[in-house]
Amino acid sequence: MIIEIKNVSHRFADGTMGLRNINLEIQEGTFVVIAGQNGSGKTTLLRHLNGLLMPTNGSVLLAGMPVSKNLAWSRQMVGMVFQDADSQIVGETVYDDVAFGPENLCLEHNEIERRVFKALETVGLLQHKDQKPHLLSGGEKRRLAIAGVLAMEPRMLVFDEPFSSLDYPGVKSILSQMISLHRAGHTILVAAHDLEKVIAHTDRLVIMKDGKVVRDGLPSQLFGELEAFGIREPCASRMGMEVYSWLK
Amino acid sequence: MAEVSALSFRPGNSFLHRMDVRFKIVFVILISLASLKARGPGLFMLTSVLMMGLIHAGLHLKSVLKPLRYVFFFLLFVFMARSLSVPGSSVIEFKSISVTREGLFDGAMVCWRWVVVIMTGLSLILTTRPSEIRAAVEWSLNPVPLIPGKRMATMMSLIVRFVPVIFEQTGETLAAQRARCVENRKNPVYRLKVFGIPLMRRIFERADKLALAMEARCYSENRTSPRLSSDVWDWLALLGVVGLCIITVL
Repeated sequence: MIIEIKNVSHRFADGTMGLRNINLEIQEGTFVVIAGQNGSGKTTLLRHLNGLLMPTNGSVLLAGMPVSKNLAWSRQMVGMVFQDADSQIVGETVYDDVAFGPENLCLEHNEIERRVFKALETVGLLQHKDQKPHLLSGGEKRRLAIAGVLAMEPRMLVFDEPFSSLDYPGVKSILSQMISLHRAGHTILVAAHDLEKVIAHTDRLVIMKDGKVVRDGLPSQLFGELEAFGIREPCASRMGMEVYSWLK
Repeated sequence: MAEVSALSFRPGNSFLHRMDVRFKIVFVILISLASLKARGPGLFMLTSVLMMGLIHAGLHLKSVLKPLRYVFFFLLFVFMARSLSVPGSSVIEFKSISVTREGLFDGAMVCWRWVVVIMTGLSLILTTRPSEIRAAVEWSLNPVPLIPGKRMATMMSLIVRFVPVIFEQTGETLAAQRARCVENRKNPVYRLKVFGIPLMRRIFERADKLALAMEARCYSENRTSPRLSSDVWDWLALLGVVGLCIITVL
């Protein structure tokens, strides 16, 4: 198991419960989607995986080690791509932004350069390496955010609403990126409220509501229950057809 | 946004691009100081050398003139203030206002000096990666006791990173308020309140998100700094610039 979440609850400073007694195990190399309405606790749960938030009760284990024991290691292991790619960009140029993570890991200059070039090549942004990040398109910014975490060589990639405010080519580009990263052996965890774009590629679907995991299973077995939890059933499934990929 | 970007690093492989950033910062200081003392011929030499340097670096002067137009208004203001305030033989007189020959000459010299300083700064900014400038700041602050060089350098780079964000948020807030006819409200205090408060809130929210993203990527002060290296060409260029500055002030 790469992730073991044991009886995790989280209470915010204002007393609101973000998570209620979550138990979840994620196997290495799987592609998992966490779905739920806005405010169901998806982002709060994701932020526990690399110690950006700490549980009020319970524990999160990453490859058998508590996340709280070694935060830097946990953040290197779990690369997080935020919903708002703009606010994730730290560097003044594309190259500098991707180098930010490896520089924080105190790597040698040659190793930083190797990782930056590899990550930019993987997401197809090598030709933009000297460009200002804020001049990139929405899809390119999201790919830059992915490159930024790839350069840290994580074992698991966590995407928080990766398709929000992207056009069709942007969605296809990010989706194919996710699929190739999954094929390369990364564990992928996606939080989304709209399953349409990604569900054809996932191994497992976890549904959250009011900070609790309410369903967990194979996507095809849960389609019929989605609307009861405020999640739109994929169009093909509604029409009794097999769900197909957005890349076809 | 594009105007902000016009005054930032542009990739290239010219001598200025390849030069060690620490030397470039020294050149900026030396040339700026020399321009304070230089008269017409000296300023002409400095301007010519800087112009050649910028053209050699592949920079089109036209593209940087537009974003600098407000600076030219400032220079015009300085020129007018000098023309009217320096005593001397009068060229134009209107009631109690008089423009003097000495004032016109002095104003022109002051503006020319400003142009030299701006061109020197541009040649640094347009040919140097911001991360290299950050590394040079860190390097220069390291020997200073009680000043955390790495933290200062990161703060500086975040300010540079945040300028476009502030412009973007300002533009969005303005557009959203115009869409709801804020221009019909003539009270400037009211307009400042409804514009300033949401803008500040949005900027702080963005800053919070940025801090979280930095934390997720293991940010710490103990991190690898960009590599700085100098070669014989940097030292030769230093000799050349020192020589140029001496000639211009003599």
